[in-house]
Amino acid sequence: MSGRITDGMTARLVLSDIQSVAERMSRSQERMSSGKQLTRPSDDPFATSRALMYREELAANVQYQRNAEDASSWQSVTDTALGQIGDLVQRARELVVRGANDTLDATGRAAIAGELDQITEAMKGIGNTQYAGRYVFSGSATQTEPYATGGADGYAGNGDLIEREIGRGVRIAVNVTGDTVLGDGSSGLIGAMRTAAANLRVGGDMNALRTTDLRAITTAQDALSTTRAAVGARANRLDAAADRLSQMEGAATQLLSNTEDADFAETLIDYSMQSSAYQAALKSGANLIQPSLMDFLR
Amino acid sequence: MSVSTFRGIETTLRGLLAQQRSLDVSGHNIANANTVGYTRQRAELAASRPLDIGPQGLLGSGVDLTNFVRVRDDFIDVQLRAQTLLKGAADAREDGLAQVELVLNEPSERGLSTQISRYFAAWQDLAGAPENMATRQALVESARGMAEGFANLAGQLDTIRTQTAGAVTNTVDEANSLGRDLLALNEAIKAAQAVGHEPNDLKDQRDVVLDKLGVIGSVGVKDDDGDGAVTVTVNGVTLIDGTTLRTLSESGGLLSNDAPTPESATLTPELGKLGGLVELRDRTLPGYRASLDALAGTLIAQTNAIHGGGTDVNGVVRPGGYGLDGVGGRPFFSGTDAASIAVAALPEQVAAASATGKPGDPSNAQLIAAIRTDATLAPLAGATIADAYAQLVTKIGSDSREAQRAAENGKVLSDVLENRRQSVSGVSIDEEMTNLVRFQRGYQASARALNAMDEMIDLLINRTGRVGL
Repeated sequence: MSGRITDGMTARLVLSDIQSVAERMSRSQERMSSGKQLTRPSDDPFATSRALMYREELAANVQYQRNAEDASSWQSVTDTALGQIGDLVQRARELVVRGANDTLDATGRAAIAGELDQITEAMKGIGNTQYAGRYVFSGSATQTEPYATGGADGYAGNGDLIEREIGRGVRIAVNVTGDTVLGDGSSGLIGAMRTAAANLRVGGDMNALRTTDLRAITTAQDALSTTRAAVGARANRLDAAADRLSQMEGAATQLLSNTEDADFAETLIDYSMQSSAYQAALKSGANLIQPSLMDFLR
Repeated sequence: MSVSTFRGIETTLRGLLAQQRSLDVSGHNIANANTVGYTRQRAELAASRPLDIGPQGLLGSGVDLTNFVRVRDDFIDVQLRAQTLLKGAADAREDGLAQVELVLNEPSERGLSTQISRYFAAWQDLAGAPENMATRQALVESARGMAEGFANLAGQLDTIRTQTAGAVTNTVDEANSLGRDLLALNEAIKAAQAVGHEPNDLKDQRDVVLDKLGVIGSVGVKDDDGDGAVTVTVNGVTLIDGTTLRTLSESGGLLSNDAPTPESATLTPELGKLGGLVELRDRTLPGYRASLDALAGTLIAQTNAIHGGGTDVNGVVRPGGYGLDGVGGRPFFSGTDAASIAVAALPEQVAAASATGKPGDPSNAQLIAAIRTDATLAPLAGATIADAYAQLVTKIGSDSREAQRAAENGKVLSDVLENRRQSVSGVSIDEEMTNLVRFQRGYQASARALNAMDEMIDLLINRTGRVGL
């Protein structure tokens, strides 16, 4: 700049300095009052895109956690139902063993047969267990009662597995279909129970009762244990997934906060520095503008 | 050759007058110290023609006032206008893009990104309870919210574009209005110069108008015939031809005038406020809108293909799903772009199941929910929907930041040049005070010289020849 300094220049310079400090101060103030480092994309376009990605990740994570929780509840409902059926099968097995004993007369066996039928109906009742308005053993036909208690033994649901997404591309089946647990009509557990009851009644095949029927019920009992173990394993997997998701949520929240939120200590220091710069600019401006040759000429 | 006895009086009179005029000029400078665009003036003094008095040589005859000049460096004007041109373009862009950022409302809990995220979350929720009407209702509401978010953003972008188009028209009008001012000043300056005056203050006013015009476009100034009336071009298109106004108009990014043989020039982004606004109107804003439309279009096409069956955005034929009522083949969204997107399906029609009679089957809802993480959607070139939106936000953010930087740079550079101009042309009160003292002393000294002459002549006339009286 050439040597000549005019009054207009001084005024402009002072004004533009004061304005630029005031602008920086207002930015700091905005950061402090909003608590955000990023208030518009142009503050830092790259950080904005990261913030959006973290947000998206976080939203997806929360959703996966919700899915995992729902799947977990489903597992505990299923597990409880399977436990109850297990108890009933145990009782049925004892009854069949007792009924197979020659010491009982026809009346006693008929009574046992009656009890077996009651147990079968109770199993069908448990097969109709609902969770949040849905039949859990019905496959995807969740609005259809899988078994008609007091009616025919057919399975009215389907064999579909229902899956929940508990991570990006990670799906887990949440249901066990009724036909694999209780059977359908004359097959499976219910079928075995009905056959045993029939064989206990007059004209029944006592030999079959001791051999095939008892074996069939034992097989069904084993299958039930296997299914229950599988449900338990699934529940463990869901718990682990929920833990992992919640850890990831914490990490993503931290990252989002680091990207988006203002560092209060830093912002405060910035602000107080700018505030002193502002006062200095005002003071020097006042001193610079005041004197002129006029003050000294008489 | 003899010299007139009274010559000295004449010489000192010239001195007196010259100092007086110089004082007048200082007074004028001080009076205009804060006038915008004022250029300090100076009375140009020169020793007057000397008198040839023969063998003794040339006798000085005092001082002449030759001219009142404006102290100005035309080169700084050219440099400054080159900077204000860039600053004008950057300011226009900065303003427009700041508005876009405002309507974008990102990053926040209320922007479109959150609404897109909620939309996909609602599909996941539906996949968790496909037979539940409340969940279906919630999905339809989230989808409506997102559709409104798209439509709102598209509408706001259109509004900003309309406003920008209005600003282009206003700016052209402003240029024409400045043209009329220039015309009047040109005529006045020409008239003054014709009678031999130097119309400094009128020229200052003309320079102020030219500075204003320099923000709008690239200004060219020429005075080919030297009559004081300048020819002014904006981006190479003549606005003022001597004392004729060629009204400017803009159409489709082309600036033209109404000369008998019309001239025209393409408005490029760096060409001042007009160039910046046209860039915003014709390329930047439509570009954002197109990205948003591509995003909405992809979302609509992909969701509908999976929902109701048909060819998806990658050309894969999808079987489609079925609603609670067992009917399939219905689209989820209507519309094709960000402005027209709307939800077409009723809650019970939402096709969560892949087959009829399976109310608990969430597989189709899961397929739609999975669009969220699908990075193979052909129109988005390897980005997911959320990524593509984040890219758009980043693009707007970087464009805006770039415009802010350019505007800041333009401000700094034009400030520096404005300071240089002020350094040359501005009024310094201290300097003028000094000049006042200087010229006052000069005036006093001239008066004293006149006094001496007077006494000398007094001696000659009143005392001479009175010896012995």
